[in-house]
Amino acid sequence: MKIKILAFGIIADITGKSEWIIENIQATDELKKHLEILYPRLKSMKYAIAVNLAITSGNFELTDGATVALMPPFSGG
Amino acid sequence: MSEKKIKKVFIEGAISPLFIADAIAKHSTKKDIGAHSIFLGQVRNDVINNKEVKAIDYTAYNEMAEEKFHEIRETAFEKYSLTCMHIYHSLGRVNSGEISLFVFTSSKHRKDAMEACTYIVNRIKEEAPVWGKEIFEDESYIWKQNTP
Repeated sequence: MKIKILAFGIIADITGKSEWIIENIQATDELKKHLEILYPRLKSMKYAIAVNLAITSGNFELTDGATVALMPPFSGG
Repeated sequence: MSEKKIKKVFIEGAISPLFIADAIAKHSTKKDIGAHSIFLGQVRNDVINNKEVKAIDYTAYNEMAEEKFHEIRETAFEKYSLTCMHIYHSLGRVNSGEISLFVFTSSKHRKDAMEACTYIVNRIKEEAPVWGKEIFEDESYIWKQNTP
């Protein structure tokens, strides 16, 4: 199972990349844990997770081919 | 989501005053309009830790932002009696003193145009997946935070 990850703003600075593929992650909580091990700075970050363009809340199940966006607080305008 | 065409919101770089003037001029043929309301967001030269912001570099989750702008537009049309509405937001680098957001609403009477304009700007600030990086004179930067 493949998931496409997109990182924006300060999150992309922390991860050092803005787009990559990961495998064998089933849900957003598992993804967060996985990322926080790789990038400990994320633990103290506030960010929203969108799956296939919709912002999720709680632990959201991922399906093969999903696009998951890691979004820090917005600062447009 | 409605089947109306998604209008292009993002503009590369600053929004020029000439573009804004031209947008106003284009409405002279729409003679049922009695009021326009315009919001212009300008990049401010904040001083943070003794360094002055000289530009903001905007990035967005384009696909999601375009959908969000579309939804905001549709909701504003439902909520207010508007003749027309235009939203433009910069992407990439915009220097301090330049315009990065242009919201333009028109209606028969002023109340709808003015209230819709405020409504749209507030929703963009809160809900559009856009990020601004504040760049200082020495090219160092911090990520912008919107004030509520």
